[in-house]
Amino acid sequence: MNPTTQEAFNQGNLRANAAYQSARRSVTINPITRLEGHGRIDIFLDDKGDVERAYLRVPELRGFEVFSLGRPAEDMPQITSRICGVCPTSHHMASTKALDDLYKVESTSAGRKIRELVYNTFILEDHALHVFVLGGADFFVGPEALPAQRNIVGVIGKVGLEAGKKVISTRRRLRELIAYFGGKVVHPVFGLPGGVSKALKPEDLPKFKQLAQDGLEFALWTLSVFRKLVHGDPVYLKMITSDAYTHKTCYMGMVDEQNKVNFYDGKLRVVDCTGKEVCKFAAQEYLDYVAEHTEPWSYMKFTFLKQRGWKGFVEGPDTSIYSVAPLARLNASDGMATPEAQAAYESFYKTLGGKPVHYTLANHLARIIEMVYAAERMVQLVNDPEITSPEVRRVPTSVPKVGIGVVEAPRGTLFHHYETDEKGLISKANMIVATGNNAARIAMSVDRAAKGLIKGGHVSEGLLNEVEMAFRAYDPCLGCATHSLPGHLPLKVSIYDHDRRLVQQLVQD
Amino acid sequence: MPYPAKVLVLGLGNDILTDDAVGLQVANAAHEALAGDPHIEVKATTEMGLALLDEIVDREAVVIVDSVQTGKAPPGHIHEIGPEDLPSLFATSPHFLGVGETLALGRLLGLAMPRQIRIFAIEVQDPFTLGTHLSAAVQQAVAPAVERVIAQAGEFAAMTTPA
Repeated sequence: MNPTTQEAFNQGNLRANAAYQSARRSVTINPITRLEGHGRIDIFLDDKGDVERAYLRVPELRGFEVFSLGRPAEDMPQITSRICGVCPTSHHMASTKALDDLYKVESTSAGRKIRELVYNTFILEDHALHVFVLGGADFFVGPEALPAQRNIVGVIGKVGLEAGKKVISTRRRLRELIAYFGGKVVHPVFGLPGGVSKALKPEDLPKFKQLAQDGLEFALWTLSVFRKLVHGDPVYLKMITSDAYTHKTCYMGMVDEQNKVNFYDGKLRVVDCTGKEVCKFAAQEYLDYVAEHTEPWSYMKFTFLKQRGWKGFVEGPDTSIYSVAPLARLNASDGMATPEAQAAYESFYKTLGGKPVHYTLANHLARIIEMVYAAERMVQLVNDPEITSPEVRRVPTSVPKVGIGVVEAPRGTLFHHYETDEKGLISKANMIVATGNNAARIAMSVDRAAKGLIKGGHVSEGLLNEVEMAFRAYDPCLGCATHSLPGHLPLKVSIYDHDRRLVQQLVQD
Repeated sequence: MPYPAKVLVLGLGNDILTDDAVGLQVANAAHEALAGDPHIEVKATTEMGLALLDEIVDREAVVIVDSVQTGKAPPGHIHEIGPEDLPSLFATSPHFLGVGETLALGRLLGLAMPRQIRIFAIEVQDPFTLGTHLSAAVQQAVAPAVERVIAQAGEFAAMTTPA
């Protein structure tokens, strides 16, 4: 959509929102909770009162390119990390890698290891947050529990107070490691083209070794608790493997040379719904493999596999829709590069019926397996003699032109793409964020949940809860950043009849 | 100065997301006016969720200033929220944890949580566009919000237990 059309669309949408507000004739029930950003679901019924189509609409972060134009490329790791209070480290790292590429300079070996240490620490911390605070509450506390209990306080009630203290203190210590290198977690001054800004002092190493070890124990403990409470429970297992939460799409994830999962560096690999490799490409080639589709009902751009072409929201061996994030990364790889994570990976596919796994809710367990890998990788890195080397940066000398960087953010593949003039001032900037890569599959999940729960014009009680669980498993970040206090409309479901009249609205007041 | 100061004024927001910066701007403006008071510390942070816990632990009273988008008040309106509103308004915060949940969590973990809390939430117009200028209506709310934050912090400071 060009900027003028987009602006007109935005204005129209604002007016439509205002009209909905004033014309509201609806019941109000408990809403979506614990999602970052705000979403809106529109459900259109056919003449029989069944669901014709349900759409998830999300507010879009606007103005990224305009804001970036003319700024020095070196500022981008700081600017982009400030865009999102949820995954600042992912934006910072993707941006730093884009600068490496822009200046055609490779990080020194020690600089690369420090980046990888910080990045795996971030993944462990962020995944832990989701498991215990955001999504995992559905399982630890139970989907039937009252919303007021489906939160960290309820989780602590289930796993125990001591365990709760462990969660909070481990997370804090992991953030301290990130802050050691980058200063503020939200505004890190850390990644530079060709390396990092700070070396690890040998005298500080023992505490990081202890943290890595504790982090690994924490991840393995999380794995055992989740397996016991969730995957050991036939009711949950039935829900996880039910058709309502199953989609056969392609999967994308970054892999190393042995096709093992890697969050920091490697090639992007895509497999189809039978597990067969569709393509494997370097970040710099992403425009040959990934394209964006727009729909009139959403700001969101739906990415798809370019060489297959947009075929609509369909599943199966020929679909061009792919997903990202933990389950997709496991599916797109041949395994994990560390022993405990590899054992958990093998057990994951054994208990869930082979590879690839198509159950959206399996993302939660996949996320915990990634926590184990991230912690094991931290242990490896802090025990690498080179980690305390002072050689953390190589100063670039080439003339900049184009730079593309990619990382696996907790929520999936994240691309940053900059073009500059010869002085390094930005002339073009583009990002594809993880939730954009997942948008098509999320839309399918929402549609599926709505179709199962609305029949003949009757809306089942559990609608919001089921829809919520369907897309919370992706850990979507819906408006890459907004921080405004909610207390308002985290999610609003509007139901329209065959004549497109609003007949019901489910919101939070 | 006792550490940490008994009263915390905490501005929340994102400084490059247009109106979402309002909480930070109010805190920064209040900072100057409150600099002489040994019982009051003013901070502005772009962090959220669980990070709030680290900020409010061991404080006696906290004044939070943030942006809000209810769609039910004009941009620039200052919502004032006390503890009595917390369970209903913040228990289901989508930003990880609401203030109410954070307090409950802190108490559950045996941490010293503030006894007094007051939130000033300024209704915003546009928290989705990258930019560093507040929209006009929200800009106009800054000065009155600063005044109310300063008054509230002073009131809390007067109520704190003598050192």
